[in-house]
This record gives sequence, structure tokens and C-alpha cells, in this order.
Amino acid sequence: MSATLTQRDLPLGDTDVTGTGRCRTVLVLACAFMGLAHLTVLRQWVKGATFALVEILLLTWLPLIVKNLRGLVTLGEQQLDVPVRFRQNSLFMLVDGVMTITVLLLFAAIYYISVRSALAAERSWSTHGVRPREESLPRTFLGKAFPIVGLTPTVVLVAFFVVVPLVFAALVAFTNYSAPQHIPPANTIDWVGLENFRRLFGGSSAWTGALGRVFAWTLVWAVLATVTCYFGGMLMAVLVQESKFKITPLLRAVFILPYAIPGVVSMLFWNGMLNGAFGTVNRTLQSIGLIDGTIPWLSDPWLAKFTVVTINLWAGFPYFMLLIIGTMTAIPADIIEAAQIDGASKWQVFRRVTLPLVMYQTAPLMIISFAHNLNNFGAIFFLTGGGPAVADTTTTGAGGTDIMVSWIYKLTITLLQYGNASVLAIVIFVLLAPVAIFNFRRTKSYKEGEL
Amino acid sequence: MVRKLNTVVLGAIFTIVAFAVLWPVVHMVSAALAPGQSIANLPVVPFANGVTTQHFEFVFTQTPYLRWFRNTLVIAVCTSVGTMLFASMGAYVFSRYQFSFKRHILMTFLILNIFPAFVGMVAVYVVLLRIGGLDTLWGMVLIYLAGNMPFATWMVKSYLDQIPKSLDEAARIDGASGFRIYAQIIVPVARPILTFLAVTAFTAPWMDFILPKLVLRSPENQTLALGLFSFVTDKNNFFTNFAAGSLVVAVPFMIFFVATQKSLIASLAGGAVKG
Repeated sequence: MSATLTQRDLPLGDTDVTGTGRCRTVLVLACAFMGLAHLTVLRQWVKGATFALVEILLLTWLPLIVKNLRGLVTLGEQQLDVPVRFRQNSLFMLVDGVMTITVLLLFAAIYYISVRSALAAERSWSTHGVRPREESLPRTFLGKAFPIVGLTPTVVLVAFFVVVPLVFAALVAFTNYSAPQHIPPANTIDWVGLENFRRLFGGSSAWTGALGRVFAWTLVWAVLATVTCYFGGMLMAVLVQESKFKITPLLRAVFILPYAIPGVVSMLFWNGMLNGAFGTVNRTLQSIGLIDGTIPWLSDPWLAKFTVVTINLWAGFPYFMLLIIGTMTAIPADIIEAAQIDGASKWQVFRRVTLPLVMYQTAPLMIISFAHNLNNFGAIFFLTGGGPAVADTTTTGAGGTDIMVSWIYKLTITLLQYGNASVLAIVIFVLLAPVAIFNFRRTKSYKEGEL
Repeated sequence: MVRKLNTVVLGAIFTIVAFAVLWPVVHMVSAALAPGQSIANLPVVPFANGVTTQHFEFVFTQTPYLRWFRNTLVIAVCTSVGTMLFASMGAYVFSRYQFSFKRHILMTFLILNIFPAFVGMVAVYVVLLRIGGLDTLWGMVLIYLAGNMPFATWMVKSYLDQIPKSLDEAARIDGASGFRIYAQIIVPVARPILTFLAVTAFTAPWMDFILPKLVLRSPENQTLALGLFSFVTDKNNFFTNFAAGSLVVAVPFMIFFVATQKSLIASLAGGAVKG
């Protein structure tokens, strides 16, 4: 620091502290206790008191924090002599542990921010030679501190209702949390390392077979569901745009009906319609003499797969139809006209101009739609319930049309096989990671170097 | 000749698709009005067994249908309003301020976008149990809000990034506070994208199943999707009641979608492509 700065500091009364010395003092004080630098050297009372309060709160919770962290490691002792409701609950210990770590991380972030804030105040003091003045509280919160006000609800909600559950799910994969022997509060859960992974990846033939089967079908399903809906929607979009019928607007309204009907309703309704013995579809086919017996739409493993893809096309093509109509109407008319003037036929205009433009605009959405279909619980669960049962269903719970998510649902809600379900959740993570990266690289912020 | 053939082919395709789309819809209306209970009694030709309104009466008077409807409405409205409020504030901060951990939070949100919320449903259950939010509507709203935030924040942020910063910088130089700029400049400017978000956030809870199933245990706190599902589970087979109840929700949705298809097309193309 230059001598001039030191001299300018003099009238403010800190005769003993030079610029450099003060910088170090602020750093030491700020690191020693949150808000201390603000309260002493910088004299920003409100800010300092707020920061100090955060640390004091954390310190009073210290015993609880230690207890929760210890609980996360041990997951409780088996206490068979204690009545069930007084036993240690491993499940709560696990969740509390993850929440405690989240709180500690948030605290560390606030600590970091407080030190940065102190140093920034000190730097501004050094350069301007005037101690930064403190604004009134409402002014601070609506002005400079608006980012805190604006972001706190979002960050807290996402931290505790999205991140904590996901971390919890990942941790459960390394425990034996499953029925019948390890369900709290009657019994404890223990860390078992990679045991669940071993069972699913080669250890047990039933589980490994089911995982391979469901994994493959999930991928096939997602590809088929996306491709059929995309090209079905594109075909209808082109036809609707090209047709000169007077009733075309009405037809368009009719075609978007499946999109407008809530998914649960339409899938449950189709489930009834396609019922083997009583369903309206089979009885209609019988009454017009097309079939004699019944077609097992939902009870034959292969036919059921075909059925879910078809019904999904019924429900899903309108979305892409609307999307592609939107993209097509946004194509500037002069591009089309230029092609026509050059003598291009209608088909050539479509093949060489419209289609590439539409594909370019909507192809990224196919990836998003693919990711959506990988996890399209509703389309499977309400239509087939994951069924029909196949050879390994009694052990693993996975039916003929189950995809990963519907299997996870069954393992969690009906079979209480949380450990295995969590391994599957991790598999989904891995499956979705490329999509996440793709999504990430597509954002403007990434392209502009902000991220 | 070719043109005539084209018209015939086009007409044929439209007829087939329209039939495939409408056939189940007509049967749904027919089932809601048909006498009897189970799917087996339903006529092959729609409305062939006559028409009765008894299922609507039954659904409204003998089941907690109205209660379910009200619950869903409360959840949908709160989620929609909360999503708009928090997403617009968060997006404004991300778009216009520089601060510690900004990059990290944005990246985390982007990654969280991809993962379905119910992967961690057991933990959601326990967290709600811990704060007393189990079997309550506000607990449900909190989960939905948290689930919406990463996507919604990104969406509004991308939108705000395209709006020239000079617009609000001028106000800042004139001494307007961060909050005033948010309320008087940013929110009005972001209205199209906020409307889109509000509609999406409003429609989703109507038919969501997994999370309400986990959180809302008592019959009087359930939502429509759970209630309708309970009509046609293995234990019950009140298919016609289900159809009647479904129709009551589906019709407003159908009217809304058909009426707004123009702006729907625009917002789908605009909102989704820009991401």
C-alpha cells in the first residue's frame, strides 16, 4: 500500500493500522469468527451481527450436528430389547445425516461469502479512503442484497427437496434397506458396501436377468416412443399444412384432443378398452367378425410392448404435430418462394428446404423427448401396470413392459426393496448423464462462455 | 389427375386418423353416460344402451370428488403462483448480478433438470415427516415448487438474457433499487415466459400420481388423479364412474387446449426450442 493511502486513513482514527496491516487484520478477524471483521474494524453493525448470529446458531446446534453425523456413520444399533417405537431409526438417521451435511455446506458457503464481503469492504475503504457506509436494513434487502432475497427460497427448496433426496437415494444403494429384514423402526439398516450392485450386476441370475431385460426394453421403448411420435407428428403437421380442405382447422382441433386429455385418464381408459375378455376393443372386433377369440393386447409380453408403443403414439403425436406446425409457420416465406422461383417442385421444396429447417429446429427436442420417455412412468404404469408377469417377476417384481422407473416404483412402494431400487436409480443417472451434458452444451450460457 | 388422387389419399388418411383419435373419446363419453358399472357391460356401439346421468350424480354425491377437485385446484394454483414468483426472482438475480457460487448453482440446476424428482421419493417422505408436512397440501406444494425451480429458473433466465441490459441499467443509474427494477421492469418484460410457466405448473399437478400417492394418505386430502385411480384398481371396478369423473376434468382441459391452440403452437415452438 502506498503512503498516501495510509495518510488518508489517518483522519478516520485508525492511526495504528496501515492499509496492508488492516487488510491482514480484516482477513484474520473474518476467518476467526463470522462477522467479526464487520463488527470491529469495518463497523458494519447490521451485516456483522447477522453473520455472527448465523455462526452462533450453528455453534448452539453443534451437539446435534455431531450426533447426526455420527448417526450417519453408524446408522444405529440393533436394540431388540427396546420397544419398537423407542428403537433407533436408521432411516431418520440417514436422512438427518444428509440434511446436516447440506446445512454444513450452506454454512461454509455463507462463511466464504462473509469473508469475501469483509475483504471487499476493506478494499473499497483502501481505494476510496472512506469507510463504506452501512445502508438501512430495508434498503439493503431491496437493493444490494436483493440477490440473497431472490435466491434464498429457490436454493433452500432445491437443496432440501431435490438434492437431499437424490443424495439419500444414492446412499441407500450402499445399504441393506429392504423388506423383510431391514425395515425401520423395527430393525436397523446397515452399510453393506457394494452388495446390491453385486446382486444386480451378475450375483443373482434372476436380478441380473431382470435388470438386463428391463434396461434393454427401457432403451428400445424410449427410442420407439420418441421416433414414432416425432415422425407421426411430422406427417400430420405436413398434411395439415398442405391440405386445402375447408374443414382442416376443425381436423387440427380434433387431432390435438389426445394431447389435451390428461395422461392418467387416457391411459387408464385404454387399459379398460384393451382388457382381454371384457374390453371394448376385442368385443368390437368380435362383433364385426374380424376375430373369433380374444387378442391378449396387454397380457402377452410381446404384444403388450407393441400396444404400449402404439397407444403412446396415439397420445403423443399431437405434441410434435403442434410443435412442427409452429416451426413450419415460422419459416420465412421468401425462402420457400425463392425455391419455387428456381423451379423446385412441391416435393423438392419440402425435401430440400422445409424438412432440413424443421429438423434443425426440432432435433434437440427429440433428445429431450427421449429423456422424457426413458422416465415416462405414466405411459407404462397406467396402461399395463408394468405387466404382464414373466418368468422372474415373482422374485424381482419386474413385468414384461416395466421400464426402469416403473420398476423402481414397484420396488419402493409395493415390495419395499429400497436398496435395489436405489441401484436402479443410479443406473438411470448414468443413462441420463449424456443427455444432461448435451442439454448443457446446448445452452446459450455455455456457448457464450458464462459457464 | 395426380392432384385428384392426392386429395383422395389425403382425405383417406385424415379420415382414418380422425377415427382413431375420436373413437376412444366417443367411447369415453358413452361410458360416462352408460348404465351399469363395469367395462364388460359397455355397449360396442357407443350410446347403444341408453343414456343416464347417474354416474355423475354418484361421483358428486357419494364420493369425495369435489373435495379432490378442490385439493388439486389449491395445489395447482399455489404451485403456479409460487413457481412464477420464485423463478422470476431467481432468474433476475442470475441474469443481472454477479456473486459467489453463481456458476455452481446454475450448473447444479441444469443437471437437476434431467433427473425425475421421484427417484428420491423415500427421502422426500422422511423430510416431510420431519417438518410435519406429510399428508398436507402445503407439503405437496413445496415438493412441486422445488421440482419446478431448476427448469423454471433456467427458462426465465434464458429469456431475460435476451433482453438488453440497458433497459434496467438506466433505472439503476437513476437510483432504483434492485427490487423496484425487478417489480417494475423485469416482471412486465418477462410476462410471456411467465405465463407459459404458470400454465405448465398449473396443469401438471392435475394428473401427477406418484408423489401425491406417497404424501397424501387420508382420503380427504387426496388429489383427482389418486381418486380417479381408486375407481378402477383391482379391488374396485367402477369403470363408468371413472369415465364420468374423468370427463369432468378432461373437458375443461380439452376446451382450453383447443381454444388456445394458436398461442400454444407459438409458445411450444418458441419456449421449447430456445430452452
